[in-house]
Amino acid sequence: MPADKPDRPDSTEIRIADHEFRRFRDFLYRRTGIVFSDAQRAYVERRLTDRILAAGSRSFSEHFARLLVEPDELERLISAFTVNETYFYREDYQLRCLTSNLLDRITARKRRGQPIRLWSVPCSTGEEPYSIAIWLLENWSRVDSWDIEIIGSDIDVRALDAAQDGVYSERSLMRLPRPLVAKYFTAMDGGRYRIDEALRGSVQFSQVNIIDQADTGRWRDIDVVFCRNVLIYFDDMARRTAANNLYDCLAPGGYICLGHTESMSRISPLFHVCRFPEAIVYQKPWEDSHA
Amino acid sequence: MPLIRGSPPDAAREDSRSPGAARDDLRSDDPLVRRRAVRRLGDGPEAVAALMTALRTEREPAVREAILTALAALPDAAGPLASLLRSQDAGLRNGAIEALQTMPGPARLLLPGLLSDRDADVRLLSAEIARCLPAGEATALLCGLLERENDVNVCTTAVEILAEIGTPDAVPVLRGLTRRFPTTQVLGFAADVAVKRITGAQN
Repeated sequence: MPADKPDRPDSTEIRIADHEFRRFRDFLYRRTGIVFSDAQRAYVERRLTDRILAAGSRSFSEHFARLLVEPDELERLISAFTVNETYFYREDYQLRCLTSNLLDRITARKRRGQPIRLWSVPCSTGEEPYSIAIWLLENWSRVDSWDIEIIGSDIDVRALDAAQDGVYSERSLMRLPRPLVAKYFTAMDGGRYRIDEALRGSVQFSQVNIIDQADTGRWRDIDVVFCRNVLIYFDDMARRTAANNLYDCLAPGGYICLGHTESMSRISPLFHVCRFPEAIVYQKPWEDSHA
Repeated sequence: MPLIRGSPPDAAREDSRSPGAARDDLRSDDPLVRRRAVRRLGDGPEAVAALMTALRTEREPAVREAILTALAALPDAAGPLASLLRSQDAGLRNGAIEALQTMPGPARLLLPGLLSDRDADVRLLSAEIARCLPAGEATALLCGLLERENDVNVCTTAVEILAEIGTPDAVPVLRGLTRRFPTTQVLGFAADVAVKRITGAQN
């Protein structure tokens, strides 16, 4: 307890020197692909200082040494620097595109019995993969005719734990029509809701860092990747690496849905641009060739 | 419930063969095998040589992209990539520029030499690489180029880049171009536009 340890520093006593900031920034980039500029130093320092104090370290150098040997603390640190706020039916125009265009094209080339594989990465605390599940159940008339696998992946294991738990606040559900809340959620104490057990059991969650080839290399034959609002945190090299990794995960003809401010055309020449009434998405060529 | 929970990925499916086997696979007839080989070659110095050899003969865009991305992650590859600026293959030239733009650290060491190359085409393409540097550094390099450059096409490219990212330090050099190339109206026009953009002048 802090009162018993008067020598424990407080936030005003933690100083991060210029070279330490640069070292930490490089470290975080290598581990996550996330880039912070000098202008974001205050933001980075605040979160880093919080972690140093919470972990009981006395200085940056002590904490940095721990990061290299304590995977749990590294996970907590990554959690502090990844943005996890999201909500159900966010960017639902892409879900409309999924059911009005993409799935018809995918199933036209797929044999019966082959699953349709949809991947939400990063999935944060699960709002997106569960949104995909609910949207398909509510809006795709052929949902009963196909086996549909939904995968949610994130670099942050704490977010994944929350996703598997499936408990959400009113704020997370603000875009979801109330009848759907009633249909798929159970009200809990404190204005919280737990998603239906069957839905929780239908989404497979896993830890994946999309710039890590070994992580993404385990996945193949994905039909649609939802990779929204993460590449904007990466620099050019990390974006390019992520695009290559996702390309290899996709089935021929598979699609990537990015956030509405992102463009794969500026990242990689590997994908075709597909303009649908609801959204622009990016497609891996049917043949593994552009020629 | 039509939604099914898939099996976790099978770790055994991951291709874990050695970098030596990957080098063999780089010569496969199957583009998919070659692409996967590129991605598991590793990051040792021997990878640069193997990737460069593969890149010079590779015609499949998806494999080329994988090779260029792999090379861009290897600082030792900057010099070999820069050598592609002399290639007759436009795809290789542009691929090398894009790769070098994503590795500003190694690229900044090469740029002074490249911007002084005897070949005007190399100087022109190298100016594009300078685009990836911080504005002050790019401005200094491109201004140095403009002060000694006699090729109009190289100057025009440098001016266009300065119009986009140049700092006010570039203004005297840009204004001097009109005096140095009095009969090349397009260059004077481009320099005027660049000065206006940099200074925020309306007319």
